[in-house]
Amino acid sequence: MQKTVLMASLRQQALHLLLTLGLVVAVTVVLYAAIITTGVTQGSAIYLIPVLIAAVRWGVVPALFAGICGVLASAYFFVAPTYTLIVTDPHEVFNLILFTFTAIIVGQLAAQLKEQLELARQREVDLSDLYSFSRRLAVAFDVSDIHSAIEDHLAAVLQRKVILFGPQREPSAAARRNGGGMPGAVLGAVENMASGHESGGGRAAAGGGRAAAGGGRAAADGPGGETVVGDGDDIWLVRAVSPSRREFGVIAVNLGHASPPSQGALRSRIDAVLADATATLERLGVAHAIGEARMRAQTEQLREALIGSVSHELRTPLASILGAATVLAAAPALKNEKSLKALVQGVHDETERLNRDIQNLLDASRISSGGVRPHLEWTDPTDILHSALRSCARRLADRAVAIDIPQDLPLVHVDAVLVQQALVQIIDNAAKYSQAGSRIAIAAAARDGRLSVSVRDEGAGLTEIDKATMFHRFERGERHAATTSGSGLGLWIANAFITANGGKLEAVSAGPGLGSTLTVELPATHSAVAQLESDADD
Amino acid sequence: MTEASPIVLIVDDEVQIRRFLRTGFELNGFVVHEAATGGEAIRTATLRPIDIAIVDLGLPDMDGSEVVERIRSWSNVPIIVLSVRANEANKVQLLEAGADDYVVKPFGMAELLARVRVALRRQSRAATGEPTVVVGPLTIDLAARAVLLNGQRLALTPKEYRLLQVLAQHAGNVVTHQHLLKEVWGSIHVHDTHYLRIFVRKLRQKIEPNPEMPRILMTELGVGYRLAQMPAEGEPAWATAEAGGSEAQAKPEA
Repeated sequence: MQKTVLMASLRQQALHLLLTLGLVVAVTVVLYAAIITTGVTQGSAIYLIPVLIAAVRWGVVPALFAGICGVLASAYFFVAPTYTLIVTDPHEVFNLILFTFTAIIVGQLAAQLKEQLELARQREVDLSDLYSFSRRLAVAFDVSDIHSAIEDHLAAVLQRKVILFGPQREPSAAARRNGGGMPGAVLGAVENMASGHESGGGRAAAGGGRAAAGGGRAAADGPGGETVVGDGDDIWLVRAVSPSRREFGVIAVNLGHASPPSQGALRSRIDAVLADATATLERLGVAHAIGEARMRAQTEQLREALIGSVSHELRTPLASILGAATVLAAAPALKNEKSLKALVQGVHDETERLNRDIQNLLDASRISSGGVRPHLEWTDPTDILHSALRSCARRLADRAVAIDIPQDLPLVHVDAVLVQQALVQIIDNAAKYSQAGSRIAIAAAARDGRLSVSVRDEGAGLTEIDKATMFHRFERGERHAATTSGSGLGLWIANAFITANGGKLEAVSAGPGLGSTLTVELPATHSAVAQLESDADD
Repeated sequence: MTEASPIVLIVDDEVQIRRFLRTGFELNGFVVHEAATGGEAIRTATLRPIDIAIVDLGLPDMDGSEVVERIRSWSNVPIIVLSVRANEANKVQLLEAGADDYVVKPFGMAELLARVRVALRRQSRAATGEPTVVVGPLTIDLAARAVLLNGQRLALTPKEYRLLQVLAQHAGNVVTHQHLLKEVWGSIHVHDTHYLRIFVRKLRQKIEPNPEMPRILMTELGVGYRLAQMPAEGEPAWATAEAGGSEAQAKPEA
């Protein structure tokens, strides 16, 4: 195998030398023709042309070869005595020596230039790879995005087939798409590598890798628990992306038919790239990001489970208490027991209050975990308003309620239930901070493609500080903290629900004691209505 | 009018909830059977005659909706589901699976009784083929296809009548948006809720004494609509409300 690679490289060198020789011959023929036709005598400087070409195209060895050939050809063909390699004229000897020096230096300079040019080009490619890599990392949304970014980056830099396996040993999406490109032995080695890392034994992983290779050629265990797996024609290198950071995953690189020495070269290149990648990953906080993403998912699950179980665990006894209270209140035995009936009514009312508080806490938790996903539907705002008023009937019983809802309100595209719950909070708040018998005016209006619903009370009003903080969580007006019960969640929830529906909530007040007006604005439309008006009824 | 006591099957795994429901129903002249699991519920429903089933959604052995579907596969017995708030999609799904109505936990006995009475009345109306539905001042004569408000005949367009007819067939029980859209406009329009909104508004202008404060065609946000239940005179004891709690009684004045 070593021989064949060496032969290939020698063949290429020989080809370059042959081409150089061809150039020299061509120059000689042209020069010879020129001397015969025009009688020019000084021509050896023209041999710098093949030197330059060879230097730029094939490097320093062919350039030197071109120089030697050039000297020999001028000595043989053009320097008296011609057709011998002997040069007698000291002038010519000086010329040839000068030419030789020039050829050597020019050749070297040109070859260096070429090398630098290639290096610069390679650097540019590397840089743009790295740039697009970091850009992809920056926009990566989850672990699999980050992994496929790592994979593509390594594949671009190494110019080899690369497959990255995540910490859960799932192959990347790209690998799954490509399907059969992965021999089973490689998968086995990856499996062992990953589990070996979990138990902390690089040796075990390497050993397992060899066993997994089975019939194929399996070879050296590298440092850091890397494994080489041969499978028929192809050789795969399997190693952890980073020996110390398991969450970066395990990588498999197809080395192709490479011989051990060139394998070594590739492996050191891979090492360099992976070291680079690991450093980049760490600098970009990828380890952190991956951990964070997983943590977020787990927290979310935990929160969902908690909300679900709190909801169930707290509400079940509440349902029993409230239900039993209503049965007791209507029981024949209590028919003439006024004070006992009042007690039962107290149990009932307090249970309902507790239920509202629990609901507020659950809503708040849903809002702060970003769990409010409006289910948008065309809704008649009148339906929402009536529903909200129905829910607030008890609270509004001793208030003078004035309702102004026009019959031609446009439809709104909102989550009706969320908007209704927000309105209930707002109306509840207006009732809470105003006196019995005072007026609460609820009005709806449509203008400029917006629907506005305002709730005006003659209650405690708002100070400038209240206005600035009233939609904050757990914020309660200082003046009322002692006299009115509440959690300070209501308006915060209302604001969040309205905002989730693309609307906004605003508060206006002339000042403390002068009442306040809360206005909900929602985007409205006439288009759906217009479409239907033209759609004949029958 | 003398009638045998209606038999109710209570399906809930919480013993305290079963206890208050049993007391509440017995005080109102019902005969009560209990089941703590879905399996037991299905067994009881097969073996004993029941007039109505109250099914809790969270059962230890199977989902409440499965119980609904299994019972519905061979029986027309009215089913009322005990649900939790903030899950309108789930309520709609249960109603589509065959439940007749739902009550949101926590609930008062009067509210549940009102729902139960409506469902039982609907069942007996279906059995006797009684063609008129009366909701307060509104009378819907399904046989003559006539709608009267305070004795005055109303002129409804065919679609408006169809909408009212579907609601009247389920009078007192909620009817989902999807069901109404399918019945009135056809199954390709089940997602065009704006059709429904406009026609409900038009219908209310005609059938509600005060369209600004609807009391006949009620909204169940996120779920559907229902014709309010307003019991007529001369019903048996178990069919008349003894306590407040129906929606018609709990509304502020405009």
